Amino acid sequence: MKKFLIFAFLLLLSVGFLQAQDLSIEVSSKDVSMNIGQTMQLGAAVVDASGKKVADREFIFYSTNSRALTVVDSTGMATAVKHGEYDVIVISPGDPQLRSNIKVTVAPAAISKVEIAPLPEHVYAGVTVPLEIKVTDKAGFERPEKVVKLTSSDERKVGIAPFDKLIAKEKGKVMITASVDGVEQKLEVDVLENPIAEIHLKSDMVEGRSGDVFTLTAVALDKHGNEIADAPINFSFTGESFDVSAAPSGLITQEGKFVADEPGLYVLNATCGPAAASVTIQANNRNITRQIDLIGQGSVNDKHTSDLWVWEGVDGRDYAVTGTWGSDGSAYFWDVTDPAGIELIDSVKVDARTVNDVKVSEDGKVAVISREGASNRKNGLVIVDVSNPRDAKIISEFSENLTGGVHNVFIYQNHVYALSAGRKYYSINIEDPANPKIVGEFELDTPGHAIHDVWVEDGIAYSSNWSDGVQLVDVGNGIAGGTPANPVQFASYAYPSGSNHAAFPYRDKKTGKFYVILGDEEFPYGLDPDGRKPGRAAGFLHVIDFTDLKNPKEVAWFKVPLAGSHNFWIEDDILYAAFYNGGVRVVDISGELLGDLNRQGREIAWIVPADPDGYVSNAPFTWGAQPHKGHIFYSDWNSGLWSAKLQPVIPENSKIEEAK
Amino acid sequence: MIKSLLLIAALTFSFAANAQNYYVYVTAESEDEVALIKFDGKNATIEETIQVGIWPAEIEGPHGINISPDGKYWYLSLAHGNPYGTLYKYSTETNEVVNTVKLGLFPASLQISKATGLLYCVNFDLHGDMLPSTVSVVDPEEMIEIDRIETGVMPHGSRISSDGMFHYSVGMMSGELFEISTTKLKVTRKLSLDGMEEDGAAMGGMDHSKMGHGMMTEAAPMYHSEVKPTWAMPHPTNGKVYVAGNGTDEVLEVDLEKWEITNRFKTGKAPYNCDVSPDGRYLVVTYKGSGETGIWDLESNSELPRVKNTRKVAHGVSISSDSKYAFISVEGIGGEPGTLDVIDIQKAEKVASVDMGKQAGGIIFWKME
Repeated sequence: MKKFLIFAFLLLLSVGFLQAQDLSIEVSSKDVSMNIGQTMQLGAAVVDASGKKVADREFIFYSTNSRALTVVDSTGMATAVKHGEYDVIVISPGDPQLRSNIKVTVAPAAISKVEIAPLPEHVYAGVTVPLEIKVTDKAGFERPEKVVKLTSSDERKVGIAPFDKLIAKEKGKVMITASVDGVEQKLEVDVLENPIAEIHLKSDMVEGRSGDVFTLTAVALDKHGNEIADAPINFSFTGESFDVSAAPSGLITQEGKFVADEPGLYVLNATCGPAAASVTIQANNRNITRQIDLIGQGSVNDKHTSDLWVWEGVDGRDYAVTGTWGSDGSAYFWDVTDPAGIELIDSVKVDARTVNDVKVSEDGKVAVISREGASNRKNGLVIVDVSNPRDAKIISEFSENLTGGVHNVFIYQNHVYALSAGRKYYSINIEDPANPKIVGEFELDTPGHAIHDVWVEDGIAYSSNWSDGVQLVDVGNGIAGGTPANPVQFASYAYPSGSNHAAFPYRDKKTGKFYVILGDEEFPYGLDPDGRKPGRAAGFLHVIDFTDLKNPKEVAWFKVPLAGSHNFWIEDDILYAAFYNGGVRVVDISGELLGDLNRQGREIAWIVPADPDGYVSNAPFTWGAQPHKGHIFYSDWNSGLWSAKLQPVIPENSKIEEAK
Repeated sequence: MIKSLLLIAALTFSFAANAQNYYVYVTAESEDEVALIKFDGKNATIEETIQVGIWPAEIEGPHGINISPDGKYWYLSLAHGNPYGTLYKYSTETNEVVNTVKLGLFPASLQISKATGLLYCVNFDLHGDMLPSTVSVVDPEEMIEIDRIETGVMPHGSRISSDGMFHYSVGMMSGELFEISTTKLKVTRKLSLDGMEEDGAAMGGMDHSKMGHGMMTEAAPMYHSEVKPTWAMPHPTNGKVYVAGNGTDEVLEVDLEKWEITNRFKTGKAPYNCDVSPDGRYLVVTYKGSGETGIWDLESNSELPRVKNTRKVAHGVSISSDSKYAFISVEGIGGEPGTLDVIDIQKAEKVASVDMGKQAGGIIFWKME
């Protein structure tokens, strides 16, 4: 009897299993075609092996691209929004759980219009004119994949070149037709006889250095000597490098700015139709490299080190504070008066795993350190009395609205600007440091906005907001009527990579240019598999010309091969940048900035902290750098606080030799 | 034929009876690691430490973790992002990433329904404004987020009924228990655990438009649930859901048929996570505030002697499939390591522990073999 029961049980299990395996989802059609705007009921049923429908089964439908093909709830009602091929997944919950999919092809709408952007008022013979063409379909979608056929009513006067360009050859009226799928747009081009008889071209310098910006002035004149103000002048260059092993290279803009990467002789050309002019300039070796010497180290090798701040204490001695990362919530205070003998003098420990940022007030009396990873999940910031850094004392802890973690802080005129949960920053009055009080906040309203850093100078807060770029906010400057309690944004700049992590303003006194340098933070290569060595960073520094606040423009960049940017500082026309795996890079940013600063030989020096006794041995990962009283102090993730000295400029006696 | 079948069955039972190794995955939230830990009945050892995330210089916060019903994959929520968190899919065979998908703010606890095959992950939004957040619904085969279902303020502590049909989670700050139909992808019921009326002061019924961003202290008072529920665990058979009342030091028993609180178990300080043994006999609760673990006999509704954890801040709990052992993650404080404690449930004794990365949190039992 017992054997029979066991047999019956196993048989039952077996039958149930077979039945479950025989069920499947049958969709009304595996391939469905729809038109934009059309709504269609997609059908599905659960059937057994004989094809008989099984009752009481529920269904979940969803589209793999819900923005283009919406499928509303569990009923399978689909609406086509955009052309393309999409999958609809059909799930029937239960035992067994069943899945199937339906391929939906949404047909593109017919082309409705072809638009050609207006041409310059005067099109002169001998000039190439690019066309901007936009193709739109009846559903309102742009169709960049469509090939536009261009024809000219008179090829002798206006020819068609690849990539939608017109070559104006002779005087006369010509009809250009752009057509796609039978939809046409016509554009009449009135080619004028080219009046330009000559071009007068001047450069503001005949001789300079690589990295110096040569500004060209090109004036087009007719045969009577009258200026043609709207002459479309094209700038180009050729060159010859002084170094036989290097190709001449540089950048010339259509505003007539030239910068040489490689020292050499360069011929700068201005052309307009048959008229042309050129000037020759010489770019000498920039010759600004300097020796940098390692001076001292305050080793931290039992935990990671984060940011640093160096300041002159109220007693006239020099001090530094460093944070720690992924550890026990410590911050260390150092006497750095003798940069060769950096001395650990005190520490504070707070309930945190990471003290990511450290800052000190202008009067050297108060430090603020940030907290992340608190055991009670109430993070925030801690205010420390550093009037005697040998006896640093916690004055207060503040976590109101900051429990998500404070990644970065800044102190400016009795206010702390503190990031909250990577979304916004608060301005916190610390006139009474024992009783901090939130007085204002700044947060973007863009979808998915985030923030990484804030820096304040001259009453302007520069926040780095990843894909939203840098935001310039008046917190007391007066330029936009802002105050700490009422921050007012007045300018911004974002760039495509969306990696904006840090920002630092810089005003060049000679040129009057106002730049904001933006730093990326990127780790595209992932983590070290064994989890010990730091990853390899990428990303670089972007130089944005904010002289015209309403039209900021990226004009230059600084890259280091096989390394990525982190925190940086500017003082006296010199940029001190931490580049993670690449250590500290010291860069000459004097004068107007244009193009690739590293290729131009603007790097003065570099130093990479490698410590065989580091937390991870010989694994440089430099976090930040700060100049202070003639020395460079820098913190490294694996080895603590370091100091270095940039040696004096070597007398300039080699450039003439090299120019020859 | 019958003899053969009986032999196979006997061998199977014999194998199961002799199984000695238990495997759990545990997240280290402040180390960006996941530890695969083996317990052999006596000792717990770390088999492998898996680095997670992509940013070496940022803590990305691995928080929620769970295993697919077929045991082939584990899923991990990384709480921090710019600003959104990410769900990762890993192979249990290689412990390597298979795919990822972005979710909402601070994605946390998660589980796959065996009925739908879909994954449901709460978007905890732990440090955001006091506004209702959501539960993300993800197809783990395609790793596509297919829906977001709005629930309460700071949704957390989610688990799915044994038949896979209902998802339970709590709104930590709004003090609500939510029931979601996993097939209809809708909230089917909600219960105020603070005893508020439907349109009462709980945030689900408040006019959020009157609240400023972050500066709510001046615009309108924030509602902070007294119960502050942090976890909801449906019993496999008895028709009850057990809710950790972190703010009131109790576990609430909610009857699913009556949809009301039918019992309250006074617990240690700040109960945080809980799990019910697969045999339905025991409820194991971590007491975050006292660094203890409570074991409740659900037949007598009485608590066994409390078990002191190795260190402070007890966090997660997951029970082995044979209902013998409870695996407890313990966060620690500051620079302390995280710890996994193994508790013999019937004896109410800690029988093993092993240190791991800092802030041990999310935990899931994987398999016995």
